[in-house]
Amino acid sequence: MDFTLLMWALVNGVMIGSIYGLIALGWVLIYKCSGVLNLAMGELTLIGAYLCLTIYTFLVGIDFPFPFVGALILTLMASVVLGFLTERIFLDRLIGEPVLTIIMVTVGLMFVFRGLVGLIWSTDTRIFDPPVFSMDVYEVGGIIIEQVYLWSFTAAISLWVIFYLFFKYTRWGLSMQATADDEMAALSVGISARFVYSAAWIIAFMTAAVGGTFLGVKNGLNISIGELSLLVLPAVVLGGLNSIPGAIVGGIAIGVLQELSGFLLDPYFPGGVKDTAPYVFMIIFLLFKPYGLWGWVRIERV
Amino acid sequence: MSDTILKINNIEVKYHEVILVLKGVSIEIPRSGIVALLGANGAGKSTTLKSISGLLKHEDGAVTDGNIEFEGQRIDRKSAEEISRMGIVQVIEGRRVFEHLTVEENIKVGGHRRQKGFSVKDGLERVYHYFPRLKEKRNEVAGFVSGGEQQMTVVGRALMTLPKLILLDEPSMGLAPMLIHEIFNIITLLNKEQGISILLVEQNAKLALNVSPYAYVMENGRIVMDDTSETLRENPDIKDFYLGMTDIGSRKSFREIKHYKRRKRWLS
Repeated sequence: MDFTLLMWALVNGVMIGSIYGLIALGWVLIYKCSGVLNLAMGELTLIGAYLCLTIYTFLVGIDFPFPFVGALILTLMASVVLGFLTERIFLDRLIGEPVLTIIMVTVGLMFVFRGLVGLIWSTDTRIFDPPVFSMDVYEVGGIIIEQVYLWSFTAAISLWVIFYLFFKYTRWGLSMQATADDEMAALSVGISARFVYSAAWIIAFMTAAVGGTFLGVKNGLNISIGELSLLVLPAVVLGGLNSIPGAIVGGIAIGVLQELSGFLLDPYFPGGVKDTAPYVFMIIFLLFKPYGLWGWVRIERV
Repeated sequence: MSDTILKINNIEVKYHEVILVLKGVSIEIPRSGIVALLGANGAGKSTTLKSISGLLKHEDGAVTDGNIEFEGQRIDRKSAEEISRMGIVQVIEGRRVFEHLTVEENIKVGGHRRQKGFSVKDGLERVYHYFPRLKEKRNEVAGFVSGGEQQMTVVGRALMTLPKLILLDEPSMGLAPMLIHEIFNIITLLNKEQGISILLVEQNAKLALNVSPYAYVMENGRIVMDDTSETLRENPDIKDFYLGMTDIGSRKSFREIKHYKRRKRWLS
């Protein structure tokens, strides 16, 4: 077996996995704060990505000096608004309803958003034009790294750091963690549940938008990005549904798993191993560790 | 009582719009006073507290009749968040710490809202002044500290909201007598030194009557009795049902049929 090729698959896996990890982070946040499995996460990535594409095209049109950076920042800002609106319009009135009801609403949102994207941006594959990153590749010790991978990785890591600082050092972050831990107790000291839910959706939308954008830059943008983002499910199951570090590690693991299975198994099972491997892995993994790697097992004292 | 901080006027509370839990409860709490609320399981004590703090609304309950006034303002329609901003904090029963945060982070959560003349540092200082034990445990994960320390953590957390009125729900539950004693001393101290009014819900009637000068007794969603603690302590029914003795020093016998008859009189 060719060692450099193996390393190449590993490194690329880590980098693409970091994007899954980022999206998974947003997903876990909603789950932690409100107990809702957000099945519309893939569609959030779609909206974010298309939005970024549109802004990018516009900025290129007016000769903005750094169109991609500008587009990304504007997309993040738009995500804040969209995340807030989504929560206020569709989910706010359901606070206190059974969680299953809310999950079904996210299923509804999934179809609505997918339909909207098709309506606004049509279903053809679109690419970022002109290309965001040059096709020049970096070579480290014989391993070839494409620029888009490297920048995805950088973006994911910067956002992780930002969110980490937010949770650790701001009172809003602390309030969110508290609500995730015990909602009733958080309410009893006057934390606003509405604020926490909005913040969770805003952050989820931001991570989804960045994740979707980089996936779109890499593969070209069409509706299937939404399905690709569904990979957050195996990622979070692996990490444990309510662990943020778990989401990140899970995302990276899924990325590596994808690349490796593509690299190692494709010769034997032609076509599609890459796409199914994570789900097969998820099922097997759940048999052995139903809480995931770092999922909360209730703290019980004797 | 001329200076009343909280006034509950004959409230009726329903859950899910059909289950009637409180049927006309009236309570008055004097400013800087301690009032105890006694009663058996399911009498409606916790519900009374939740209807004051607004947490009731998050359990699909509502005050359907009567009203609650805090410093002259009606609060029974306000949200939990607004009510807490006015200076009411509830310490819910069962030592609900944020298990995965440290003790200090737990306390900080109570100070999440910025108020004039309040800094988190001073707030923490004040909490550690009353609960020196928490200072030692500040960096430990709250899920793993002892029950007494958890109870102190939640009271400290409530203190960080700079409350005028604390609603304490069974702070003694499941704690060793020594610890209960310690916690109640601190609570009395908070009341005396900081002038914080306290509504204390307790199953441990003896303890509650010692701490608070005035008490209400609840049964089946109604207030059945209210008086000064001294009078209540001498009341034969209270002695019988809550303090567990018929004649001083002798245990009561459950064989007496009289017991049931007397209890029935309250329920009608």
